[in-house]
This record gives sequence, structure tokens and C-alpha cells, in this order.
Amino acid sequence: MRLYMKLAWRNIFRNKRRTFIAGSAIGIGLASLIFVDAIVLGMEENMIHSATASFLGEGQIHRDGFRTTFDVESTIIGSEKVTAKLEAQPVVEYFAPRLLSFAMISSPANVSGVTIVGIDPDREREISQIDEAVIEGTYLDTNSARSIVIGDKLADLMEVELGDRVVLTASHAHGGELSQEMFRVSGIFHMAVDGMDKGMVFISLGKAQQMLNLAGEVHEIALKFNNAEIGHNEQASFWTTYSTDGNEAVGWATLMPQMKAALDFGQFSTLIVGLILFAVVSLGIINTLFMSLYERMFEFGVMRAVGTQPFAMGRLIVFEAGALAAVSCVLGIILGLVVTYVFTRIGIDYTGIEYVGVTFRELLYPVMQLKQYVLYPVAVFLLTMVVGLYPASYAARMNAAKAMRRSF
Amino acid sequence: MNADNDHKVIIAEGVTKEYSDNGLPVMALRGIDLTIEQGEFAAIVGPSGSGKTTFLNVVSGLDSITEGSVRLDGKLLSTMSGRELSDYRRDRIGFIFQAYNLIPVLTVEENVEYIMLLQGIDKKERHRRVRDLLAQLGLDGMADRLPSRLSGGQQQRVAVARAIVSRPALVLADEPTANLDSKTALDLIDMMRRLNEESGVTFVFSTHDSMIMARARRLIVLKDGRIDRDEAQA
Repeated sequence: MRLYMKLAWRNIFRNKRRTFIAGSAIGIGLASLIFVDAIVLGMEENMIHSATASFLGEGQIHRDGFRTTFDVESTIIGSEKVTAKLEAQPVVEYFAPRLLSFAMISSPANVSGVTIVGIDPDREREISQIDEAVIEGTYLDTNSARSIVIGDKLADLMEVELGDRVVLTASHAHGGELSQEMFRVSGIFHMAVDGMDKGMVFISLGKAQQMLNLAGEVHEIALKFNNAEIGHNEQASFWTTYSTDGNEAVGWATLMPQMKAALDFGQFSTLIVGLILFAVVSLGIINTLFMSLYERMFEFGVMRAVGTQPFAMGRLIVFEAGALAAVSCVLGIILGLVVTYVFTRIGIDYTGIEYVGVTFRELLYPVMQLKQYVLYPVAVFLLTMVVGLYPASYAARMNAAKAMRRSF
Repeated sequence: MNADNDHKVIIAEGVTKEYSDNGLPVMALRGIDLTIEQGEFAAIVGPSGSGKTTFLNVVSGLDSITEGSVRLDGKLLSTMSGRELSDYRRDRIGFIFQAYNLIPVLTVEENVEYIMLLQGIDKKERHRRVRDLLAQLGLDGMADRLPSRLSGGQQQRVAVARAIVSRPALVLADEPTANLDSKTALDLIDMMRRLNEESGVTFVFSTHDSMIMARARRLIVLKDGRIDRDEAQA
């Protein structure tokens, strides 16, 4: 065994240029796979962060069915009990209660349908980025019940500016009577998400409860965890603990299935890229090994003549494939590490681009993981050995006399 | 002469070999009958295309025959499996080719011990045999050199060392002096003859060099795939 490993290692350096070219091709393939995977992971993190940190939260609690009916009367059952339980829940870092309802907003110039979101400004600050998205004026003041924060596109539509008055009209819960309230625009935000910038307005939770006749009630509690994994893991016990008494607790993946699908597709894309790269690399390896084999026909003939078994001949070629793979993996790991590291420092600018309802709000930083530098090289190494079986079987079946004749 | 007339190393009977060259049938051997006794130092001679290399290939089991039979040490080659043939060549036959005999990435010592590694001989014994043989063949101090750093004559001597280090019954040499100058060629043949005399190893080699032929004790002349003459020499 050691003899053939030694032979294989030395053989691949007989034609250094060819080994370098073949090794570079495999190495670049591996580095590309590492980099693509790091970008996909970075994009995943960025998208999840953009989606969950901007407004959604890492999870939410509602009454069962509220997410589909958006019925104003479907408030969380026992919301005070639920919030008290959340206060004592160690895995929950922050939570923010919200009241939501369809409404009509009118200004002297225009009328539009919107979603009222009643929020506790202090709690909301810890969950969402509404405060950071305010581009004019100020974020909601807890003490000012008549303040309203609207999106910049809605402000344009309504032709209102800071300090202008707007009127919200919504239906009361339990009876359906109309309720109208006048507000002053205290802030204008830009979230770079059309649905929010055109169709969402924020008022204080207390005022919303009063306006909708839902004193002490909330429709939604947005959550942020100490461990973000809970938000990712739909099987976490947290969700079942809070999905009781007619309420449901779900993570972001359930709340944004389109984003979950996009992320799954991203992983699938990595797999496809990997398979294509491996296929191309495999052909390169086969070509290199056959070139090397044809060059050494006489030598192989001599080795067979002096008693080397066919299996040993094949094993030598597989070891040569392995030696080539080892060199290539080292090149690939170094290249992948350097390129990925550089981009983890400088980032990639996708800010402002909206994808499956999520707008990238921060630079995209590739994510380096140990598996990229262990799993992928091991896969490339094993694949190269497997691919080497084809030329190896040719070498094993070689007739010594023919091999020596063919080399002249 | 060390030949043991009771022990026939090679018995070839009616050996015919036909192969295809670019689709055209070539009759390389036409009913060869030949016996080689243990301890012989025999030369197979003849012009290019007379069947010298093909004969060496078929008697060593490197190539199959179309008709006839070949026995090595009494064993019928056609009944041996590929693995048995490989093992038989490893243990009983030494090979020397006209060039490119050695594995270029192995040192002289590693090349010579290659067959012993295949045989599973322990390191100490391998080392002892290699050093003794290199000294005997005038290759002292070259154990760690790669073949590319040796002259043609030195490379062929290493090939001889590899061929006999496992103490085979038979050494087959296909034009071992073809790429050597006259003096080096004669030196090599003299060395092979000395080994034949001292250790009793049977040598069968092909050549078309008249000076080399003169050193053989038996001359087998092939012509168009047939034995034209088979005579003993002084």
C-alpha cells in the first residue's frame, strides 16, 4: 500500500505543469463552491435578518385564524396572561404587542386604504426598525396619542408633510360602527418595501385600542429570541407551548413561506452549482489521468510484466487521483479561504434590492463555516478517487505486451 | 555450463501467434518447438519482425498464443489464471527490456527492491540483497540515485539487478543491449554470463548484434516466425 502511495505521489509531479493546471482547475472549482456556499449562507442570514429585524420579528403569536381572516375581533385570547408568560420566558429577548386593522386614511388631497398598526413605541424599537427607517420627523412618542408615522410613498400619495393632519376611519370591533380619528403626521419612514411604504401607518397602541374598541387587546405579539435558532426551527418546543388556548405561535419561516422557499432554492442552487462543477472537474480529472496513463504505457507494461497484479495497477491510478485531489484541495481551500475572507471584510452591496418581499438593508457578508473547508474538500477528494476508477479499470485490464507494443 | 538437462525451464510446442496490426493479420510465430534447459545462456537472434519479442512475450505469459502450448517449469501456461501468471512472473521470471526498464520516480534501490516488495520480503532482507547485488554489479554509491541520473549502461545494469534480485529460475531479456554502445553492450552481456555461471540462472535474450551473439552458448535463429537454426556455441 505504502509503495503505491509513494509511487502515486511522485508520479503526479512528473509533469508539474499538467498537475498544476489540473490541480488549479479542481482547486478553482472547489474554491467556487466554497465561495458560492458562503454567499448563499450570507444571503440567507441577510434576508432573514432583513425580514425579521425590519418588522416581522423572529416569530409571532396570534389568535388561530387571524393570519388568514385578519378579522379585527380575532385578538389573542388571554393576551395579558400570554404577555406575562413571555416576560418570564428566558429564551425571549424582546416582544412587542401590536393591534392591526384595515382602515381608510384621508387627507385634503386624497384617500387611501391602509393597515393601521398600533404599537408600543418603546417595545417596538427593540423588535423592528421602524424607528431607524424614519427619514423625516420623529418616531412615535408614547405620550402623544395623536401622532402618526406613515410611509414616504403614502405621504406623496396623500400629499401631506410633517405636521399635516390626516384622518383614519376604521370599524369598531364588536358592532362594526365606524370610528374616525384625526392625527398629525409626526414622522415619515422609508422601509424600501412597497407594501409598507404605501400601505402601513403606525399609531400608539393605546390609541389604536381605543379607536377599535379593543381595550387591553392585541392582535399580534412579535418576538425576538436570545437564540435565533428558535426562529428557524419550526419544531422548537416554544411554538407548541404558546400554540394553546386558541392561539398560535409560529416562526418566520411559517410567516414568510415565500422567503423560506427562496432560501431552500438557494441551497438547491448551491447543490446544482456543485454538481455542475464536479461534472466539469471529473472530466478534467479523467482527461489528466488518461493522458498520464498513455504517456506511461511502456512503464505500465513493465510493471505488469514483473508481476504487479492488475488490482495493484488500478490501485496506483486511484492513488494518483487521490494525490491530485489532495494537491487540488489544498489549492482550493487556500483560494476559497482568501477570496471568501476578503469579501467577509468588504461585503457585497445588494442594499435596496427587494427579493421575495424582503429588501436587503445591509451589505451582504459571505458566511464562512467549517463544513465548507472540511465537507466540500472531502467530497472533492472522494469524488476524484471515484472518478479515478475509470482510468484505473483501464490500467488494470491492460495487456502488458500490447501496452509495450503501443508505446513505440 | 550449469545446465541441468533433467530440468526443462521452457517447453514450447507448436507455438503459433497471430495478431492483428491495423486490421491486417500478422503471423508472428509459426509452429515453434523449443526447449530451454535450466542454466542455459541462450540467444534468440534474427532480423526485425522475425518474432523474437513475440516469442519472449508468449513464453513468459505476457501475451497469449493462438495455437500450441507453452510449459514453464512444467506448468502449462494456458491453464494458469491471470493472477497466477502475475505471481509466477514475479517469483520465477526476471525481465530486462531494451529501454525504459526502470520506474523513473523510484531510486535505484527502490527499483531493485520493487519485486521483493511485491513478494512481501522483509525490509532487512531486501536491503541486504539490494546492497550486495549493487556492489556485485558495480553500482556502489548509486542506490539513492534516480534512473535519470544514470547512464544507459548503468540503467541496464540496474535492470539486471532487478531481474535477478528475487532469484528467479529464468531471466528473459528483450534486446537488452539495443540502446548501448558496443563496449557497454559487451560489458553487460559479460556480466549476465558471469551471473549465469555463478548462480545458475537461466538467461534467454534476444539480439541482432553479432558481437553479442558470439557470447551466447546457444544460438536460436528465428526467421519469419520459424526456427531457422538452433545450435550450441563454444
